[in-house]
Amino acid sequence: MKCQEIKEMLPAYGDEQRATLELRRHLSRCSDCRAEVDRYEALAGGLRALVSTTAEPPARLLGALIAIPSQRTRIEEARAHVLRHRSRYLGGLAGAAAVAGTAALWRTRSRRLAAA
Amino acid sequence: MKRLKTTGGPAPRELVSPDLIERCTRGDEAAWRELVEATHRDVYTLCLRILGDPHDASEATQDTYLKVWRNLGGFRGDAMFSTWLYRVATNTAISKHRGRSRRRAREAGVGEEVMEQIPATGSVEAAAGAKVEVARLEDALAALPPMYREAVVMRDVYGLGVDELAAQLGISETAAKVRVHRGRKKLKDMLFSEDDE
Repeated sequence: MKCQEIKEMLPAYGDEQRATLELRRHLSRCSDCRAEVDRYEALAGGLRALVSTTAEPPARLLGALIAIPSQRTRIEEARAHVLRHRSRYLGGLAGAAAVAGTAALWRTRSRRLAAA
Repeated sequence: MKRLKTTGGPAPRELVSPDLIERCTRGDEAAWRELVEATHRDVYTLCLRILGDPHDASEATQDTYLKVWRNLGGFRGDAMFSTWLYRVATNTAISKHRGRSRRRAREAGVGEEVMEQIPATGSVEAAAGAKVEVARLEDALAALPPMYREAVVMRDVYGLGVDELAAQLGISETAAKVRVHRGRKKLKDMLFSEDDE
């Protein structure tokens, strides 16, 4: 196998259960390709180590996350309240719509009378 | 003969006790606070590494914890909580990423912002003196095209299996492997210049 073929295989090397005999033979006599394996090994080690390195989240994030249960509770309470008093809210809405309709009608009539 | 030790990836640390999770499932808000304090940095960092943008990472973290709060009752104690939490976070970040990739214009210049957020200390030394500085590695990860970054982060940082990675990304296992391998090669090229060779 040529070095170029070997180098194309190396990104997958760590995922394979066993290196092929051909690959092992090549690596045993090619220092360039062995150095390439070392680089991938360093990369793999670095990536594994990142799992214990954390970023500092924005200051407000923690508060927002902690508040999730109480926010959800408030939303659920509001939703339950609206559902419990649905008929009263619907009645109120219907009443408001009737008042608005009457007012609009009265205003239109007043304008017509003024114009006449 | 040396082998790259990426098979299976790192095992996630258990971040909280079963007792704490049990209290959370009963609606104990003090327990919830404790759980969030113990885990939110890891979840935010995971989202940041996948999304490459602090604002998107914050939103994905909030969405993750909303889902966790709603679904804690469905968490089965036979799996590690941190594994489940990472899975929810990964799913959420990927969904967000898919939505965001429709707005590709925002992709440019993401790396520097990420770098400011992640500590730039330490290094990992492997055989033959090859060394990877954590800061350079985070920088290189942030500079990877998003499709390779999410694959490498999930596979090599958080240890997802190829089958799980493929399922999360909604692609075939072969396609998932290709993304990981291309991502690793790009990272290696960024980290080790021709002068090192």
